Amino acid sequence: MLFSKYPDDIKRFQEMTNDRRRIIDNTPATPLPQTYAVNQLSKALHPNVIPAEIVDTKEIGRNCKIITLKSTSENGRFPYFRAGQFITISARVGDSFITRPYSISSSPYQAMQGIMEVIVQKAGLFSTYLLEEAKVGDKVVVGEPTGDFYYDNIRDRETIVAIAGGSGITPFISMIKSIIEGSDDFNLIVFYGVRTRSDLLIDLDSVKHEKIKVIPVLSHEEVDGYEHGFITKELISKYVPAKYSVFMCGPDAMYNFVTDEFVKLGLDKHSIRQEHNSIGDRQFVEPKVFKLTVHMRDQVYVVDAYQNETLVCAMERAGLAAPVRCKSGSCGFCHSRLVKGEVTTPEKYESRRAADKKFGYIHPCCTYPDSDLEIDVPPFVAGEMI
Amino acid sequence: MRKYDVVVIGAGNGGLAAAAKILSAGKTCLVCEKHNIPGGFATSFVRGRFEFEASLHEFNGIQTPENPGSARLLFNELGVGDKIEWIQLKEAYRLISLKEGYDFTMPFGLEAFAEANAKLHPDGKKCIQHFWSLCQQIREAMNYLAESKGKPDPKVLVEKYGDYVRCASYTVNEAFEALGYPKIIVDNLNAYWCYLGADGDNLSFLHYANMIYSYIIGGAAIPSMKSHEISLALETRIHELGGDIWFNTEVTKILTDEEGHVCGVRLCDGSQVETRHVIANCSPHVVYGRLLEESAVPERALKLTNSRKLAGRGFTAFYAFNKSPEELGLTDHNYFVYESSDSIEMYKKMGTMYENYGQATCVLNNADPNCSPKGTTIMYSTTLFTTDVWKDVKEEDYYKLKNQIALAMLKRFEEAVGVSLQEHIEEIAVATPQTYARYCGHPQGVIYGYESQPRDGLLNRIMMVEEDRFVPGLRIGGGFGERLLGFPSSYKSGYNEACRTLSDMQKEGN
Repeated sequence: MLFSKYPDDIKRFQEMTNDRRRIIDNTPATPLPQTYAVNQLSKALHPNVIPAEIVDTKEIGRNCKIITLKSTSENGRFPYFRAGQFITISARVGDSFITRPYSISSSPYQAMQGIMEVIVQKAGLFSTYLLEEAKVGDKVVVGEPTGDFYYDNIRDRETIVAIAGGSGITPFISMIKSIIEGSDDFNLIVFYGVRTRSDLLIDLDSVKHEKIKVIPVLSHEEVDGYEHGFITKELISKYVPAKYSVFMCGPDAMYNFVTDEFVKLGLDKHSIRQEHNSIGDRQFVEPKVFKLTVHMRDQVYVVDAYQNETLVCAMERAGLAAPVRCKSGSCGFCHSRLVKGEVTTPEKYESRRAADKKFGYIHPCCTYPDSDLEIDVPPFVAGEMI
Repeated sequence: MRKYDVVVIGAGNGGLAAAAKILSAGKTCLVCEKHNIPGGFATSFVRGRFEFEASLHEFNGIQTPENPGSARLLFNELGVGDKIEWIQLKEAYRLISLKEGYDFTMPFGLEAFAEANAKLHPDGKKCIQHFWSLCQQIREAMNYLAESKGKPDPKVLVEKYGDYVRCASYTVNEAFEALGYPKIIVDNLNAYWCYLGADGDNLSFLHYANMIYSYIIGGAAIPSMKSHEISLALETRIHELGGDIWFNTEVTKILTDEEGHVCGVRLCDGSQVETRHVIANCSPHVVYGRLLEESAVPERALKLTNSRKLAGRGFTAFYAFNKSPEELGLTDHNYFVYESSDSIEMYKKMGTMYENYGQATCVLNNADPNCSPKGTTIMYSTTLFTTDVWKDVKEEDYYKLKNQIALAMLKRFEEAVGVSLQEHIEEIAVATPQTYARYCGHPQGVIYGYESQPRDGLLNRIMMVEEDRFVPGLRIGGGFGERLLGFPSSYKSGYNEACRTLSDMQKEGN
């Protein structure tokens, strides 16, 4: 016998279930909580979608506006976020239901006061709608702040060197405001590439702060007191300290060029953080039209899918509430099951998990049709809100 | 009208296993999941050029196709055995306990483990062999109990499984005190305690001894494509069997008829689905607190639920480094880094916000060298918070706080192991109780279900499973189920509730 220390152990064994019954008997039948503090904060930070209305639109450049949104949710707030993140805006445009990502240009504290600003530059159908048709008072749905393009004090050095091209300045405007209001604490050096002074989307006088330095780099204009040309390693070396982390937001051509410059300065190219750019169309002279069968819960829709457009575009055009967030394949929000058919996901936008590929799951926001298709898509709740 | 034989609420481990079992019996089944992917905690996520495992440290009960463990047998029965590729782990763990100055690595295998303990203490081997014989008896007794379907012959129990009967009511600390092994051997045997998250005064010895034995005798494995591979294998199987899974579809109510029997569920869009049977893969706190109408909840269900203790709230920091494990000096896969080997002292510290440094840390590349690009390393460190210290966090302080806690854990790991990691971080993500609450909806961000208590442990829950059930047509399975927390337990619990539901259906003649 291994045990002999507790002489009553067999009796204890026999009484185990009765002991438990007694404990339950002696516990009050108090009603259980409807919610819990941790879950409430979780919901405040990640509400998924927030109803909102446009309260201001202001032209700040050629084909470029700041659009100000006000939360119309029950608590009248947007979630506190991490400067550099983006939101989505969903709206009905004609028969279409469209959702697009926009980097936030306002600050985390402003969000808690119910205000979000984004900078919209004319690019496609939806930005044209926002610039030319959307007006104050219009209702939209905002998708919660998302993305990992933000300063992290564990990962990053104390100084961030930001490379911005054109409207790629937007997330850095949010970071500047975040540093000024005290939500973030790091040194920020922004190289801001634009064609001419008139393309600058920020008022340089408004960013005077000991931790912030903005260096406009004009490519098509030579002006005293301004840097001119491209963002080269010589230019970078002139302003940066010994240790820093690099964030870039702008066109792909800029990423390629400036990344090479940093590599020449001895940086590991993988340490450079580049904000994802939205995917565009594929080029075909005469794109074919395929039949796309979409399952959403027990509803089945059959819509046209053009060979040159992503599956999300096809669903949106047909007015279906497709789940969309990043439009770059990286966030996984549109994760869907490919039931039948052939598709292509460009390597650059391939962020699926290994098992997704093995079992036939796709990100429709970055997937093009190569045949008639059948897919199973989670419905997006924004569709029920507007 | 939409109508299914069974509706499963939640596509977590328990829900997926339950649905696969229901469907394989030829019944119709709908799974409703509020998130957009299956798996609950069994998932992965992508940051930059890395895919991170979200929760799994090691999976016990897989073994080999030729000599399958209980979990592999379950996956085979559910029809996903050939859909998941497993990688066997080489070593059990490296235990570092700062207070006692321990730092040793333990192998899998009963003999090898006993030999390794001989190096810790002259009596180490003898003690471990003695411990294994006790574990073997516990295992045989539990098999006998399962076979006797809750009606064992008391004479057989006492005569054949005397030690089992004697220690069945013991806590871990009571049992180790009775066994009288040297402290270092007991401390080593206690290494796995964090996997069950209850201290030695509360954890059932039977449960714990059985777990250690399973790990050391059978080893552990991980899926080659992270735990997302298991979840998608099960989802694929559910579709093969004609089942439906609706994502972004939260169930807001379980509906009951005049006789109090389940008659349907209401969904987040206000629509309804007719069913006579629901398997809820979520916590009884949510089921009895929110999903059922108040009038449909019996008083005893409230008493039982109130009597239970919420277990550990999860916290994990995920790192991808731009150096290989060799370059970083990370030699092992599975590190337990403790402040002390006293689980009571540790458990208390885990109830505080700023003194909780203990951690189970995995260096994934040392189990699966292909888990990340060449020359990089994926590591994740998990701890539990044993109280609700995260409940008072303000929205605007949340991101700073979570990094503060993660950094303190990372620094403690660096010191304990003698490595320097922070400057090599390429990607980082930090999951808090709020994160777990977001993805799985459990109260207060609990990841470990209901904590094992002396009278709410494995044995009692199994013996009282029918007593713990109150609403006809409703079964609750998963990590809050009778087998307590953990990957194998949650699949098994879902499977068991599906078997019971099938039996309910047979009794009701449908």
